[in-house]
Amino acid sequence: MKRLMIEVEQLRKSYGELTAVDGVSFTARSGEIFGLLGPNGAGKTTTIGCISGLLTPSSGRVKVMGHDVVREGSAARAKLGVVPQEIALYDDLSARENLAYWGGAQGMRNPKLKERIQQVLELSGLQDRAKEPVKQFSGGMKRRLNFACGILHFPSVLLLDEPTVGVDPQSRVRLLELVRAEARAGTCVLYTTHYMEEAEALCDRLAIVDHGKVIAAGTLAELRSMLGERDLLRLTGSFPPFASRTALEKIDSIEILQADESLLLLSLAAASQKLPAVFAALAGAGAEVRGTTFTQPSLESLFIKLTGKELRE
Amino acid sequence: MNARFLWSTVRKDLTRMRRDPLGLATSLGIPLVLVTLVTLVFGGQQAVPQGRLLVADEDQTILSQVLSSAFNREPLSKMVVTETTAKADGLRRMDSGDASALLIIPRGFQTAFLQNQAARLELVKNPAQSILPNIIEETLSIAVDGGFYLQREAAVPLRTLAGRQQPSDQTIAQVSVAFNQFGRSLAKYLNPSLIDLEMNVTGEQSQNQGVAAIFLPAMIFMGLLFVSNSHALDIWKEQSWGTLRRLATAPVSLATLLGGRLISLAVILFGVALAGVAGMRWFAQVPVASVPLATLWLVLSGMGFYLLLVTITVYAPNQRSANVIENLVIFPLALLGGSFFPFEMMPDWMASIGRFTPNGWAVTQFKALVAGSAHAKDLAIGAVYFAVAGSALFLITVNRMRRKLI
Repeated sequence: MKRLMIEVEQLRKSYGELTAVDGVSFTARSGEIFGLLGPNGAGKTTTIGCISGLLTPSSGRVKVMGHDVVREGSAARAKLGVVPQEIALYDDLSARENLAYWGGAQGMRNPKLKERIQQVLELSGLQDRAKEPVKQFSGGMKRRLNFACGILHFPSVLLLDEPTVGVDPQSRVRLLELVRAEARAGTCVLYTTHYMEEAEALCDRLAIVDHGKVIAAGTLAELRSMLGERDLLRLTGSFPPFASRTALEKIDSIEILQADESLLLLSLAAASQKLPAVFAALAGAGAEVRGTTFTQPSLESLFIKLTGKELRE
Repeated sequence: MNARFLWSTVRKDLTRMRRDPLGLATSLGIPLVLVTLVTLVFGGQQAVPQGRLLVADEDQTILSQVLSSAFNREPLSKMVVTETTAKADGLRRMDSGDASALLIIPRGFQTAFLQNQAARLELVKNPAQSILPNIIEETLSIAVDGGFYLQREAAVPLRTLAGRQQPSDQTIAQVSVAFNQFGRSLAKYLNPSLIDLEMNVTGEQSQNQGVAAIFLPAMIFMGLLFVSNSHALDIWKEQSWGTLRRLATAPVSLATLLGGRLISLAVILFGVALAGVAGMRWFAQVPVASVPLATLWLVLSGMGFYLLLVTITVYAPNQRSANVIENLVIFPLALLGGSFFPFEMMPDWMASIGRFTPNGWAVTQFKALVAGSAHAKDLAIGAVYFAVAGSALFLITVNRMRRKLI
């Protein structure tokens, strides 16, 4: 059995009237990539903030490798590597100088530090630009360096808060590969994202969060099974809301996830067979269909099924 | 505090400052430009304007020499160089604009004066100059007025002296008694000891301090304020870059970060202070009683300003507000606290208030250190004040950073 690295139990964080995280619980083990998937404002960053010790939980308990992050903050932080959502680097220092500084902050010393800096520079593909000031780097290069600073000290637990936001495809592929490599080396990775494809491609287990709550959790297979064999049908056009809904509800085993004047999201089994009936019903209701998209069961369709809205909203 | 990380922070901040020489140059450049302009306006290192007075003494008597030597006494001699010349040569040189004024003392001047007859002096002024010829005219006018009253009040003894080729001892004694009584009669209007005291003090300052010397301490302190302010505002850069947040997730304290920033600033301040004190000592020729002590005082003052300013800046709601608030604090402090206009140039009431500001107090102690008149007790009080207030400000800042900036 792999070691339990992160334990989050009934975590709650409020700012006055606003509850950013509301009773979140999950665990993550060594060598595992655990994803927190949710739209912007769902409470992912707040959860990461509570685990990393940046924020004090209003209630609940968070442990990192058995250390309570509130009572044993320093011991817990010593096990952590954090890659924040913003690029937290000194623009006027070089990549090597940044790494040396952040390595020092984690208690690393030369010559091990120098050796490790060289390693992570090579891993992140920045060895040729190591002496240049960071302000001359592209966004993708800064992201890779931001990541390198987080893994420099061989953390046992790696917290990644949307590390690929605004990154070019090439850098994204490289970053995801680096994350996998960390997990293979035994690091427990907590990865937050609002990109479903990323979560599907990367995470061993996932928790889908919305409005500060975990609305579903499990492996990718477990989450998909929650949808059954149902497809997601996305129709765009012009739909009289009441008439369209009434017409569609007459069709067997169709579930209306979202219905407004320009968009219909439907969950249905054997969608290809039922498509003519759907079009006929909509035509009878005076609707005009201009676009149709079929989606196999996915995290997105699960999210829509659970929340009634698309993840990107 | 983690000493290794402290050193790492110092190195990081020094490297960042080295990469941004323009920032430091701006902080130091503004005071430098201001003081240079002010110094130039006031005539450079020479505190007072200097002119040339030509004296054509055709009388060649004791009285004519006494009159012309009036311009050779301080403080007038600082402004006027007296040169004896023949009348014709003097007039020619005045025509060519070679001097500020020409004083012609005609033949028979002393005799006429002693005989209580009308005596005439001629002053030719250079129309191209305004201040110096007027000063000479005013001085001469005072001398003539003095002569008039001497003539009126001491006419009898003067005539007694003038009437004989070789006055007897008895005559000299009578004249001396008469002059003594004359002096006593004027005592209620004049207080020679007070006048002497004032003249001596003014003379000392003029001798040792040019305009640059008066402005240099102000300039140095303005530089310290600006450098400290720039370093204090840099904490908001760290906040906006997210480096403070990242550091808060590492097993080190924010106190170490602030300590490192303070030490790195002290290194920069040391360079600024040393250059400033050296400038005073070797450029402005101001005797500095103790270069090391004066330098140390400047460094401590700058560190104190930093702690004060960084505390204020972390209480601002955001970076833009921090800039505005710092400007609202630093400019009145500089203007009132002798770090822009020296106290010597301020009205007394303003200087009295200014000396109670933190920088005003530090400037005053610095000047005392430079002059070698600082009291150990005052310095000890200063050190205690720095330690207590500095520690309090340090802790307040760290606490605020932890709660609001990460």
